[in-house]
This record gives sequence, C-alpha cells and structure tokens, in this order.
Amino acid sequence: MRYALRAEWTKLWTVPGTAWLLLGAVVGTAGLGALAAAACSPGECGADPTRTSLTGIHIGQSVVAILAVLAIGGEYATGMMRVTLAAIPRRPAVLAAKAAVLAAVVVPAAAVAVPASLLSGDTPSLSGGPVLRAALGSVLYLLLVALLALGVATVVRHPAAAIGCVLGLLYLFPIVAAAMADPDWQRRLEKVGPMSAGQSIQATTGLDGLPVGPWAGLGVLALWAAGALLAGALALQARDA
Amino acid sequence: MTTDATIEVRGLRKRYGPHLALDGMTFTVRPGQVTGFVGPNGAGKSTTMRVILGLDRADGGSALVGGRPYRSLTHPLRVVGSLLDAGALQPSRTARNHLLWLAHSQGLGAARVDEVLDIVGLASVARRRAGGFSLGMRQRLGIAAALLGDPAAVLLDEPFNGMDPEGIIWTRGVLRSLAAEGRAVLVSSHLMGELQGTADHVVIAGRGRVVADATVADLLAAAAGGRVTVRTTAPGAGAVLAEAGATVTPAGPDALTVSGLAAEEVTGLLGARRVPFSEVSAHRATLEDAYLELTRDAVDFRGAAS
Repeated sequence: MRYALRAEWTKLWTVPGTAWLLLGAVVGTAGLGALAAAACSPGECGADPTRTSLTGIHIGQSVVAILAVLAIGGEYATGMMRVTLAAIPRRPAVLAAKAAVLAAVVVPAAAVAVPASLLSGDTPSLSGGPVLRAALGSVLYLLLVALLALGVATVVRHPAAAIGCVLGLLYLFPIVAAAMADPDWQRRLEKVGPMSAGQSIQATTGLDGLPVGPWAGLGVLALWAAGALLAGALALQARDA
Repeated sequence: MTTDATIEVRGLRKRYGPHLALDGMTFTVRPGQVTGFVGPNGAGKSTTMRVILGLDRADGGSALVGGRPYRSLTHPLRVVGSLLDAGALQPSRTARNHLLWLAHSQGLGAARVDEVLDIVGLASVARRRAGGFSLGMRQRLGIAAALLGDPAAVLLDEPFNGMDPEGIIWTRGVLRSLAAEGRAVLVSSHLMGELQGTADHVVIAGRGRVVADATVADLLAAAAGGRVTVRTTAPGAGAVLAEAGATVTPAGPDALTVSGLAAEEVTGLLGARRVPFSEVSAHRATLEDAYLELTRDAVDFRGAAS
C-alpha cells in the first residue's frame, strides 16, 4: 500500500492538469461566491447569506469531479491502466491509493476555497456554530463528491462518459424535483439526491424547513460516495484490465 | 535479479463471447533464451501475455512465473518486466516522470530511472513530454520501463512495431544481451522474419493454441529439407538427376530445386555427364519459410489468419 500511495502521488503531480484544476477549484468556488455576495447589498442576501456566499461550490464540485475522473479515467483512456495494474496487481490497493491522494489534495484546496468564499461574503462571524458547521461541511462535501466521481469513473472507465454520469447524478435529482408538481415528491427527491441532500450542510437558517437535516444530508452523500467506491472496487476486481 | 523466472503457460483457455481467444495454450519460456512468440493477429499472443501478467483472467489453465502466479508477487516489476503497448502512457507526462512513478511503485528511486534512460538512449529527451515522442521512441521508453526493476524475465509484445531499421537492430541487440545475462525473454511478433537471428526458440501460435514449439535450429533444418538449388539451362539436367533418384522441380526459367541428393552428389553427377551448370547451392531456409511450411497444412489456421 505504501508503494501504491507513493506511485499515485507521483502520478498526480507529474501531469500539469492537477495543479491547474486545483487552482480552478479554489478560484471558481471563491470567485462565484464573492460574485453572488456582491450581487446583493448587505443585509439583503436572501434568508441565508452564508449559503449565498457558498454558491461557488457548484463550480468547485464540477472541477473536483473532473480531477477525480481523470485520476482513473485518464489511465483507461490511454491504456496506461494496464501498466498500473501490472506494477501493482493488488487492485483494491490501487483504488484506495487513488482515493487517498485525491483526498490529500482536495481537502487542502477546499479548505482554502471555502473560507475565502465566506470571508468575501456577507456572513456572520466564522466562529458562529452553524457557519462553522457549514464551512467544515462544505470542505467534506467537496471531498465526498471527489470520491463519488472516482468510484463512478472506475465503473464507467471512459472519462467523458464518467463526467457526464457524475454531473447527471448530482444535478438530476434537483432538476427532476423542480419539475414535480407534488411537493411531497419534491422533498423526497431532494432528500435522496447526492447534491441536494449533501448541500443541506450549508444551511444556517430555516433548518426545520429542510427536506433533510445538515449532517444527515451530508451522510446521504457519504453513502452515495461509499456505494460508488464499492461498485468501482468490485468492477476493478472482477473485470479484465 | 531474482533467480528463477521460468514462465510456464499450461492449458490456458479464454473465451470472449462467441470468440475462443485461447484454446489450451501451452508453452514454457526458459531463462537464458529469447523465445519468439509468433502467429497472425488474433492468434492469442497478446491475450496470453495479459493472462501471464495477471491483467486478464483465463477461464482455465494456469500461467506461473518462477512457480508463482504473477498477481502474488510483491514487487512484480522486479521479477517480470513487460511492454504490452508503447502508446499506453499519459502524453502530458515527461518520459522521466513516467518511469519515476513506476519506479516508486516498486520501491525504486530516481537513480534507477536515469540508468534505464541511459540504457535505451533517451537520456537527452528524458524531460520532454512522452506525448511528443515518435512510435520508435515510445517503444524505447516502454523497453526502459520493462528493464526498470532489473527483472529475471522480460515480456515484450510486438516491440519492433513502428521502429526504423536502426531501432530494430538495436532492439535485437537488447534482446540478445538480456538472454545472455540469463534472463527469460518472451517476444511476440506477427512477422517471423523479425525474429531471425534473435530468437533461440520459437512458439508458433494459431487460433489460441500452439501450432509449433521448437528451437530455431530445428525449424530451419526441417524447412530446408536437404534441398539443393541448381542453376542450369541445359534441358537434360532434370532427367540426369531424376535417374539418380532425386526429386526435381523447376524453380524458375534457369533453376531446379533438387531433393534427395546432397550438393556434392549433384555436382558430381552433372560433371560426370557433362551437363553445364553455373551454380549448385544447398537451399538455405529462412524462418519465414519454416513458418509457411508449418502453417501450410493448417487450413483452418490460414483461414483464421485472414
């Protein structure tokens, strides 16, 4: 496992895309957050100004998903996956190492992007309980989206198709929910969708009205991520390289 | 380099849907020899190599390296080096960094990377993106990756593809020296001629199984079949030789192929009967001839090749 980690870490930092994507995730998240906050005058940033400042998470999650998909899909696309599996035949170790190095770069990037978003916005002090929870939760949210994308890409293999699947999984539930006339069904869909449920971690006001509580919502996303990784591990183990 | 890395392939079977890719493939790759693995595209060479490397699972049979399945090896590249596809790299990574992550996966360092880059002659372009490499340069990079762990066995799938003549000569030299160092070398090709002067042993595959498995010396002797070529325009030459018990077949306007008589006997006979001739030579078979000879009867196999 130690050698798999070392190899994946070297791989990640020897393609120029990694640094650019991480920079993109930070700038995109903080930039869109600042823009959304600037678009409203202080005191009028909706019912939940913290959540408004964290709007940039939509850009951040897309970029992080691309980074995660490329971590394995890029190898399938070029055929390099066979070289990897010939070097490290223990396949679960390969996937675990990829997940670990992704976490090791996504968490720091998110830990810069999220506070930067909040500082630029009209949010109450970061030390406040709900705001701190929203901030910490948003960092974990980005990590979980990355792991979900890694799992999906391991199953799908093809990078473009994998990105499509991940964005579909994230956005399909809220889009279908919005099209539903029945409010009960809307809430049900928002409760189980990885993005809609996961982003309830950002809510600081009106918690009683949410389809799912903040931590429970993040838990739903965690289940999605765990399920995707498990499916990826099983597919990786069972299929020919 | 660990000691024993004999590769033993026993009765491999594999089916992709309706297509039977491997049908009892069986052979052994011994240390100190270059074993050529020849056959038309689709004969199962690449599939066999992927099964040996634990990448594809066979439906039946076994493939062992030094008595162990590849997937049980802790640092496999230190036992078996391989090159399956020279294009299997991410184009934006430099040649050196491609080898560096591989080295790290085996607990090796950058010093070994620079050594193999030197061996394959890519040191001067080591920090250039591999995506910009010609196919020949990628083949060299792939060979560098195969040598990284100083392995006791080396597997190369079609390493001559895309190489210029200089590259082909260089690759042959590498294969010869790897075998001379006591390593087991398996090298596949769909062109028998590429292996002439390189392989000691040849395994010919067709339709997922072994059609022939012999030393190169035996194959060449069998293909030559003791035939002699006579250059003559004299009309009576054929009759004279046939009288002496030889089988004579015309081989062009001024040549006859004679079997059943040694070259000295042919010269003696023709001289005694004063039949003019310009040349008598023992037929030299090429590996290509041997290959065609062996596969001529296998109608099935030829159908499969097309």
